Amino acid sequence: MNQAGEPSADRSAGQPRPRADQAGALETLGRSSGPASLILSSLADGAKHGYALTKDIEVFAGVRLAPGTLYEALSRLEAQGMIEAVESHDRRRPYRLTATGAAALSTYLEAQRKVAEVGLRRLAGSWALA
Amino acid sequence: MTATTAGPGPDDTDLSAADAARALRLLRWYPRGWRARHGDEFAELLIAEFAEHGPSRRRALNVAATGLRARLAGAGLAGHPLDPAAAARAGLATLASCVAAAGLARGVMWAQLAIGLQWSVPGDDQLTQAMDLMSAALLVLAVLAVLAAAPVAWSAGAAAAGGRGRRLRWPAALVGTGALVLVAGGRHFANGWPGTGGHLLVHQGLVPGGVAAFGWAATMWITSYWAHPAALAVFPPVQLAWMVLCPAATGCLVTGTVQVLRRVELSPRAFRCEIWVAHLAWAALACFLGGALCWLFAADGGSAPLFRVGAIDRAGLVVLALAVVAVAAAARRASAAARSSPAGAARR
Repeated sequence: MNQAGEPSADRSAGQPRPRADQAGALETLGRSSGPASLILSSLADGAKHGYALTKDIEVFAGVRLAPGTLYEALSRLEAQGMIEAVESHDRRRPYRLTATGAAALSTYLEAQRKVAEVGLRRLAGSWALA
Repeated sequence: MTATTAGPGPDDTDLSAADAARALRLLRWYPRGWRARHGDEFAELLIAEFAEHGPSRRRALNVAATGLRARLAGAGLAGHPLDPAAAARAGLATLASCVAAAGLARGVMWAQLAIGLQWSVPGDDQLTQAMDLMSAALLVLAVLAVLAAAPVAWSAGAAAAGGRGRRLRWPAALVGTGALVLVAGGRHFANGWPGTGGHLLVHQGLVPGGVAAFGWAATMWITSYWAHPAALAVFPPVQLAWMVLCPAATGCLVTGTVQVLRRVELSPRAFRCEIWVAHLAWAALACFLGGALCWLFAADGGSAPLFRVGAIDRAGLVVLALAVVAVAAAARRASAAARSSPAGAARR
């Protein structure tokens, strides 16, 4: 994934190019935008099923998503075309990121990074923290 | 992109039957459509959670809350993800249910006042003004019902003509049967309306006699007599039969209408028209509620006995207020779902 939010070549093959107005769609998820960003971040390195998502998010974010919350967010993301289910013979269906989801996640994380940078800079200047 | 799964869950052989049964019980919180789509994978996740952390009340509450939200979404009352077209139709069906529930409450209150106005002079102008407002709102709602029914009937007719009306047959039969029984029975029992022998007071002109009589007959079964079987036993058997048949016919009419709305293929333009009608219906419902509240305050000031607000009227006011809130929510959701669906509410 590059800075402009474009999917890198190896991940975008065969997938539709995201529209600009879909890039900020993560914000429209309202209550689910927190779990949604965690799920998209987890799926950014490959497809995962529900249990694997829960474990991965717990490791990298220190948050354990409750099953209902996880699937509510998964359903929303799937309905918005940000993730898609992968065919599986297993009962545990994996999900993967789409180009739209990748663009939305990139935009969201860029915005979060700007907020974090400003906050940390001001903390360092005024409070000698960080 | 690979489709492999990272971090496999606990081995299936370790899972107990009790955990599987517990997962299936929790799944019942979700609507059938959601279970068909996500049920297996969600059950697997729950079983894995049980195996790792054991049962937890907090987890059960989380599943219950999200399951109920999914059910509300199925009724078009919450923003849980659904097929946008299905969500739009669900919102429309919920609208119809709420308006129908409010219709019963409206009918009971309005018929009581209509009877009262045939027999007594209201104690103050406030009650007459309340009746004016309620009657006007009822008239607007009747016109809106015709406007709402026209595109649905047109679409259903077009589907039938095109050989796609099979799934509409059963709901249409319910609507037809319910309406026929209500109209025939209502007109028959309207002839025994207490207002028929009333005094020709000046204010009688407020309520057309035939309409008020029909309202009385159609809502006769909503009465506190059910709590007094001895008093009910002296009613003529035919009237008692009508008091049982009438709610069944009303149920058929409402159920059939809701099913038709869930199944009919409305064009985006027809759907937009329905949403407009729904917004106007909300305004008319709110006006009726305003009139009913005026009546409540006027009646509490010591009006004649026929105008007093009873327990059923107070319950009706609560139903009406809830319906006003639910109609607003359903109209908003249906409108949003229709906007997010490229083909509007048309079935894919």
